Amino acid sequence: MKSKSIKTAFTLMLMSSMLIAGCGGNNNNNAADSTATNAPANTGNNAEASAPADEAMDTSPVTFTFFGADASPNWNKMQDDVGKVITEKTGVTLDAEFDVGSGGGDQKIAMMAASGDVPDMIFAKGNLGTLVDAGLILDLTDLIDKYAPNLKKIYGENMNRLKYSNDDQKIYSIPTNMGVDQQSFDAGGGFEIQHRVLKELGYPQVKTLADYEKVLKDYVALHPETDGQPTIPLTLNADDWKIMITVTNPAFLTTGAPDDGEYYVDPTTYEAKLHYKRPEEKEYFRWLNGMYAQGLLDKDTFVQKDDQYKAKVASGRVLGLISQEWEYQDGENALKAAGKDEYTYAHFPVTLSDQYKDHSFQTTGIDAAGISITTAAKDPVRIIKWLDWMSSEEAQILKNWGVEGKQYTVNADGKREIPADIQDRKSNDAANFAKETGIGQYNIFGAHYGDGVKDSTGNYYTTNFPEQIVASYSDAEKESLKAYNATTWKDLFPGEDAFPTKEWGALYNMPVPTDGQYQVIFKKTQDIIRKRIPEAILSKPADFDKVYDAFLAELDKAGAQDMEKEYTELVKKRVSLWTGKQL
Amino acid sequence: MDVKALTENGVTANESVTPNPPTKRNSGFWKSVLQQKYLYLMSLPFVIWVFIFSYVPLWGWLMAFQNYKPKKSFTEQKWVGLDNFKELFHDERFYLVLRNTLAMSLLGLIFGFVVPILFAVMLNELRGNVFKRTVQTVSYLPHFVSWVVVGGIVYKTLSIDGGIVNDLLIWLNVIDEPIQFMAKAKMFWGVLTVADLWKETGWNAIIYLAAITGIDKELYEAAKVDGAGRIKQMFNITLPGIRTTITVLLIMSIGHLVGIGFEKQFQLSNNMVTDYSEVLDMYALKYGIQIARFSYGTAISMFTSVVSVILLLVANGVMKKVTKESIM
Repeated sequence: MKSKSIKTAFTLMLMSSMLIAGCGGNNNNNAADSTATNAPANTGNNAEASAPADEAMDTSPVTFTFFGADASPNWNKMQDDVGKVITEKTGVTLDAEFDVGSGGGDQKIAMMAASGDVPDMIFAKGNLGTLVDAGLILDLTDLIDKYAPNLKKIYGENMNRLKYSNDDQKIYSIPTNMGVDQQSFDAGGGFEIQHRVLKELGYPQVKTLADYEKVLKDYVALHPETDGQPTIPLTLNADDWKIMITVTNPAFLTTGAPDDGEYYVDPTTYEAKLHYKRPEEKEYFRWLNGMYAQGLLDKDTFVQKDDQYKAKVASGRVLGLISQEWEYQDGENALKAAGKDEYTYAHFPVTLSDQYKDHSFQTTGIDAAGISITTAAKDPVRIIKWLDWMSSEEAQILKNWGVEGKQYTVNADGKREIPADIQDRKSNDAANFAKETGIGQYNIFGAHYGDGVKDSTGNYYTTNFPEQIVASYSDAEKESLKAYNATTWKDLFPGEDAFPTKEWGALYNMPVPTDGQYQVIFKKTQDIIRKRIPEAILSKPADFDKVYDAFLAELDKAGAQDMEKEYTELVKKRVSLWTGKQL
Repeated sequence: MDVKALTENGVTANESVTPNPPTKRNSGFWKSVLQQKYLYLMSLPFVIWVFIFSYVPLWGWLMAFQNYKPKKSFTEQKWVGLDNFKELFHDERFYLVLRNTLAMSLLGLIFGFVVPILFAVMLNELRGNVFKRTVQTVSYLPHFVSWVVVGGIVYKTLSIDGGIVNDLLIWLNVIDEPIQFMAKAKMFWGVLTVADLWKETGWNAIIYLAAITGIDKELYEAAKVDGAGRIKQMFNITLPGIRTTITVLLIMSIGHLVGIGFEKQFQLSNNMVTDYSEVLDMYALKYGIQIARFSYGTAISMFTSVVSVILLLVANGVMKKVTKESIM
């Protein structure tokens, strides 16, 4: 019954598009050809290339429901500039709901799987597997093949990487939480130090943990108080999953391993193990333990909640962070809005010792959390067409740059430029700017190219390119960068070309079995990790070894070895699915 | 043969029916139903409501005996017998969370019971009406504050970074260094109980205050004439006067001992104290729903419900024996 009505819809749509194309005559036929062959690079003019798509597209008003597993505090119900244009051009309005608090969507999505009550589209992140196993996610393979030329073009020969797994080679989600072919120009991770600290200490070298420690120690000795409150040399955010971002992930980043979620994969044997088991990482945690013993690590670290942490950052009295910019962004935005640029942060690729390289920029290839269409969607064809439109050049520029004449202008040479007053608001009033303009709010809807990729007009797709990035820096940032002989923070980090692309992608996106014992053991090990790592860091330095070894033993007792074995198999299967290697 | 069997049956039936009074009471019961038919009709909607919302969902308990997968229909589910319960009773974590649940609810029961009664009785002794009302209003206002907010308040109050409790203790020279209350696992039960008291004492006292108002004023006057002081009046009139209310509430809260929810624990806990803060419902959420093990979650909640019913019946039976008062 349902499939019949879909078929009818398909036929009707096909017929009407043929009719329109037929009436249009020569011009249209040419243009239609160009979309069919997916080569807008030759067309030069962007409007012409997307014209036939517009005509064939149904733009009658429609509302799609959506759930996003990441919190989106600046979501303005599409009443922002970008959202209005999207609705105007496609007829689509989103009735979107986002997870609250620190995000993740675990609770919501589990309930959806249990009740079968899902929105039309979902950005499920790590919980996609639950929904797939519940049979709630549509296979997109045919839909993409028939209706999504833009998506096909963007993913190109990497379509294999969209497949769910070796055993279930369907496409359940479009990886939209990443920029394709991204060449990062800026770094937002690593270890952070306030510019005022660097300035006063004469821009010391910050390469190893010992350097970093010394900087914080020296400065806090000079200034035990900031604006009348005690200075906090270093604080971390251990609330819920953020403990991974600021406490446990830096353990592998400082010891020369790439981000594979909770695991470390041996690049030659593809053996996976919990990354905590690497002896180097024990040394990282020992360093944190020492920081705590010296009073350099905030005593509130493992107790404070997300909002308290951000409030501390916003107060400007935290000298150093070990985090990612997006994680503490809200706090830093508040500092910028208050004009306290010297209290914002510089980024350094700090490692345990000279022998390690920071792998932050090792590329994973196409592999990211993405958007899925559910069985609840009444008109999946319309949705995939919309997502395809959202992946078109026109839409990508709209999503990244905003509306021409409002958020950017095109100069005589055809170059897109952001007026100075707009750039100022964008940097210093980020939250309100995002809310009003919608820039950056629609990235997960549709595939998109990353930084450093140019469109058919020779402009960059995104607003992150060297000149623009430098333009968005505050004076304090520019001053620090200059002192370290860099134009952007990225210059301090080893770049993408220093490492091979990871054959297994980003493992935190790999679906794991929801049946059997895997999930239970994983949950147990997570419980142990989140309890014992803080305990080890807070223990007396003399007891650290004892606590850490007991922690590792406890992991194995909970079944970690079986879990690692199962995971190794999954990694191997993934590598053979993607690369064709026989393992 | 047939006839004999029939008569035999008839005889036994007669035997069991005639000498037994229940039949009479039974017919009396139907008579009173007929007499009070309007009352019964009026209560009918509520009976239906309870049936639909409290009894119909119980068929979902069957999930506990299956390996439930959301996409399959009921008949396609795999039956696994008592496997989920076996796994539950073999998990040492389960006993830990059970201990936490019982410890926190017992603490809650003891303090959440004694303090509001004392508060109500003392409030009752106050003379000034304006003052009394103000105290009452102020004390029950926290009840309307959600646990999310209370969680924030508790964290702020106990913080080592300008938290009022630590500041006060240092000022009083009780301690030299601020204490990180929320990181001390063993203090969690205490913190939670105190937070709960702060939030609910005023609200819980209302019902006792109402019961106290119902006590005949003449009793107090008679006591005064007999020369009883205020303390004596309190113990000999006020408290016995609200004894029924106390018993009923006590039985009901014993029924809720295991099913205390997880709102407060969820808001107040952090990674450092999970060994003391995790309760059964949180365990069900983490190891059941969050990783899509719906059957396991159901098994846990089934365990909770069965234990609750047993506790309720036991409490009721004991109370019936001891105080001659009960709710059933």
